[in-house]
Amino acid sequence: MLRTPLHRALLPCVREALSVSRASASTAPEKIEVFIDDKRVLVEPGTTVLQAAALVGVEIPRFCYHERLAVAGNCRMCLVEVEKSPKPVAACAMPVMKGWRVKTNSEMTKKAREGVMEFLLVNHPLDCPICDQGGECDLQDQSMAFGSDRSRFTDIDHSGKRAVEDKDIGPLVKTIMTRCIHCTRCIRFASEVAGIDDLGTTGRGNDMQVGTYVEKMFLSELSGNIIDLCPVGALTSKPYSFTARPWETRKTESVDVHDAIGSNIVVSTRTGEVLRILPRVNEEVNEEWLSDKSRFAYDGLRRQRLISPMLKVGGQLAPVDWEDALVSCARALVEAGPHSAAIVGGLADAESLIALKDLFNRLGSEQLFTEEQFPVDGAATDLRSSYILNNKITGVEEADLILLVGTNPRFEAPLLNARIRKSYVHNELDIALIGPQLNLTYDYTHVGEGPDVLKQLVSESHPFARKLKAAKKPMIILGAQQLKRPDGAAILASVQQISQKLGKNKDGWKVLNVLQQTASQVAALDLGYKTNARSILENGSNPPKVLFLLGADEGVIQRSDLPASTYVIYQGHHGDVGASMADAVLPGATYTEKQGTYVNTEGRAQQTLVAVTPPGMAREDWKIIRALSEVSGYKLDFDTLAEVRLRLEQVAPNLVKYDEVEEANFFKEASELNKDASAKLGNESFDVKLKNLEDFYMTNSISRASETMAKCVQAVMKQKQSKYYEAQSA
Amino acid sequence: MLSHLRRTISSKFLTNIRALRTTPAVTSDNLFVHRDSAEDNLDVKFKFTDENLKRVDAILACYPEGHKRGAMIPILDLAQRQHGWLPISAMHEVANILKLPKMRVYEVATFYTMFIRKPAGKYRIGVCGTTPCWLCGSDDIMNVIRKKLNIEIGETTADKKFSFYEVECLGACANAPMIQINDDYYEDLTAADMEEIIDKLQKDEKPAPGPRSGRFAAEPKDALTSLTEPPPGPGFGCRQDL
Amino acid sequence: MSSLMKFIGVDKIQKAIQIFQENGGLKASLIKMLRNDELKSGTLVGVDKYGNRYYENNAYFVGRNRWIEYADHYWLDYNASQIPAEWYGWMHYKTDLIPTKDPNRPHHRWMLDHTENMTGTSGQYTPYSTNRPKIEAWIPPKK
Repeated sequence: MLRTPLHRALLPCVREALSVSRASASTAPEKIEVFIDDKRVLVEPGTTVLQAAALVGVEIPRFCYHERLAVAGNCRMCLVEVEKSPKPVAACAMPVMKGWRVKTNSEMTKKAREGVMEFLLVNHPLDCPICDQGGECDLQDQSMAFGSDRSRFTDIDHSGKRAVEDKDIGPLVKTIMTRCIHCTRCIRFASEVAGIDDLGTTGRGNDMQVGTYVEKMFLSELSGNIIDLCPVGALTSKPYSFTARPWETRKTESVDVHDAIGSNIVVSTRTGEVLRILPRVNEEVNEEWLSDKSRFAYDGLRRQRLISPMLKVGGQLAPVDWEDALVSCARALVEAGPHSAAIVGGLADAESLIALKDLFNRLGSEQLFTEEQFPVDGAATDLRSSYILNNKITGVEEADLILLVGTNPRFEAPLLNARIRKSYVHNELDIALIGPQLNLTYDYTHVGEGPDVLKQLVSESHPFARKLKAAKKPMIILGAQQLKRPDGAAILASVQQISQKLGKNKDGWKVLNVLQQTASQVAALDLGYKTNARSILENGSNPPKVLFLLGADEGVIQRSDLPASTYVIYQGHHGDVGASMADAVLPGATYTEKQGTYVNTEGRAQQTLVAVTPPGMAREDWKIIRALSEVSGYKLDFDTLAEVRLRLEQVAPNLVKYDEVEEANFFKEASELNKDASAKLGNESFDVKLKNLEDFYMTNSISRASETMAKCVQAVMKQKQSKYYEAQSA
Repeated sequence: MLSHLRRTISSKFLTNIRALRTTPAVTSDNLFVHRDSAEDNLDVKFKFTDENLKRVDAILACYPEGHKRGAMIPILDLAQRQHGWLPISAMHEVANILKLPKMRVYEVATFYTMFIRKPAGKYRIGVCGTTPCWLCGSDDIMNVIRKKLNIEIGETTADKKFSFYEVECLGACANAPMIQINDDYYEDLTAADMEEIIDKLQKDEKPAPGPRSGRFAAEPKDALTSLTEPPPGPGFGCRQDL
Repeated sequence: MSSLMKFIGVDKIQKAIQIFQENGGLKASLIKMLRNDELKSGTLVGVDKYGNRYYENNAYFVGRNRWIEYADHYWLDYNASQIPAEWYGWMHYKTDLIPTKDPNRPHHRWMLDHTENMTGTSGQYTPYSTNRPKIEAWIPPKK
């Protein structure tokens, strides 16, 4: 439905807001002078009354209007008086004209708002006390601010209020459709941002209702956002239902770790429990959206937790005191000395990473690995440009051609995919894909399946190479999982070569992007972790005597790979793959329970804050390692978080420059160093791990422990049985 | 004293009504969600006939590239004409032809009262119930239909001959009250006219469409109420010095 | 003569012998003294279904004239809560009629058997939280 000229015409201002850089490049059109409540303001032509009012700080009430969605203009709440206009105008849809005098506080405006509010309330149930939106409801707030102080609604004996049957749209969103005021924000979100046209309005007039018409669930990786968008309580969160009122909860601003995007979140807590997670606006990362996994996997934070240190007693893990656990682990580490190895998982914070690395270095071991694998040939991870998303997430909006190589951004980084779709809809962005056929919610050119296409693109013998060359701002996004392949180095080298050629004469526009999949990876590589964890098994005569797993739960090394004498220490927050194979378990903290630094895939350092305390005897991760270092006699030099961060700054200064992106350079050098590897491209087609929606929900130890995520998987399976399921749209 | 008793009883009675009322009144004869039924489910296949496919192409040709979705209403209408009413598989077929999400087709098909989404009779009587027709006596017309055919709004007679709907404004307000039977408008109706129309249709004769009051189209009922004098010449109403 | 015997205390000895006899001989009396810390003689007014025996002797002053000998199987683990409700009233002078003689006692099928106070035993009632735990701990898989 989008991508049509009609739609474009309706959205001049949104587009302008999106492509600020473009607007400044072309000749700036003359500004228009308008007066909002007698305050003079100069605006671009095409600005709506509502936006002009926002510029001078006048907020016009609205229900259907949303900055990130198309203008609908159907709630009429934003009616304002314009001088010399006989009727009030809808501020959200009306572009200002020269010399207009808008009165947002006049008698006519007030009367219009009161009238609209009265009509909305006539068909809105008076169930605020049992409504989950109560306290954060736009209708409540605006009826207090702009509505009449008494009701004329006396019709209840005559015909009753309108009632609409509830819809089952999945395990995440609860619907009470009688409360719906038909703002159509959810429909527009589904169609524009999520790219799943399953929601719509059926019927007309009094019978109009929002729904799916057929029995079908609204299953999208971004479906939770319609809860935030809904101005009333028609769409509320199912897992959070009847849990708390917004004024009872304590809010902590934090960062999400379920993917490598590092979405900004607000963690709502009460009595030491995480009650829900909401997105926090950050234009450069997640705008104001949040993926379902980040939003709803919080119930995994209270299940399958490690709450006490454990040691193996008679072949069975049993809870022990910290003292015993630390002494046992320290003894094993000291005995092993240089023959100890560590693997860190995808949820580790930079503080614990540096503490672990320092401890192991003092023990004389250099065997510190990340669980995610990355080629070690050539420049490997020495040059930062080869493992981060160099164009940044906002770069997607400037690009005019994106080539995805062996990645499924829709499930690996849903918010990056939402950006790509946004750019596809509004900016004429073209997308191409090398890899398996996927449903990405937008159209793309399927260039090929395997590395042979890369080879042809390097030699420019592929027809698509011409298109890449013609692009002004091309982006190549390489999925990090392809680098695990035996020919990973060759793939990276080929992509680097293509990017290097394309990047010439583009004044600083970088082409190469690597999309990581875990939150800890960039920080770990910045700190100098190695990436070939399997290599500890390869020097067969000398396997590690101690294997330290810091939240490593993906099973890169199985217990069966190791000799029985190897002492496995698992430090982490969930009992998952890692804890099951451990001889000693040290209970750590999750991202909501510690102040930790995470670097997202674009190299942006952000920090989580403590929302709740770690449960039971669990402690913050860097403190455990610090304690272990003292017991083992290799005391680390830091006692406070500030001192840990000082140490972080010594190793990688970018890790403590919060909310800034440290850009990478040495693209050419990286490409040169990797050149030799490019010949060894394999023939096997690219495969992505997360192909379908059901693969998306459970990807790490937290989401695997979450009941809500399990329900989502079941719902997707159920949906697939439905007659109304359409493979291409889900 | 008696009045006091009545007041007491009625006040008790009324409060009870309020306390007991749990289900709001139904405001429409139509359901705006899809429910699988024996006649209307995905197993009932719908395909345009070859002849109609040519018509579809002709309709599509009227719309420029990028605006093909404008053809949705004519194609839905074509589907309804072919099948007699509009099953869900026909909506899906239209969505496939227009390459649109199915929801966009559902939206249109449920919006217009002319699209009938459940099996209908041979003669589909749509009585306009919007304000002008209602003021001019659409209730009487409906009562005649109810009495003669013994069906309620939204129902079809047992012999599948008549269906009875209440529809929104059909744009013939000047000739209120009016009804639409299949493609024809019957206007300026009285209860007697309605009876006659039904009687004729029962015998499969075609009653004369158009206004029943004898006037032509929507011309004034009795005599002209405006433009009664010959048109004034040039310069009418202008200043003397011009 | 009798006064002399009284002076010497022969009647007390006779009385003691009588009490010993009434209580079933020397051995039984010693056991009763061990269990009850005293030895009394009185009329057996009734035995309840748990085997407790109830005695009365109005020669003692009120408050001590009715007593119970707990069933033998309790041995030393007896306490007042083992007196069933129907005997409670008689023991506490609420009524002078023993249960079997009182026509006004209610008899219903739904009446439960008497249970003693289980506090301090394994059968005691322990309150528990019905809230779900905030954190569910991981339980290591059994090998």
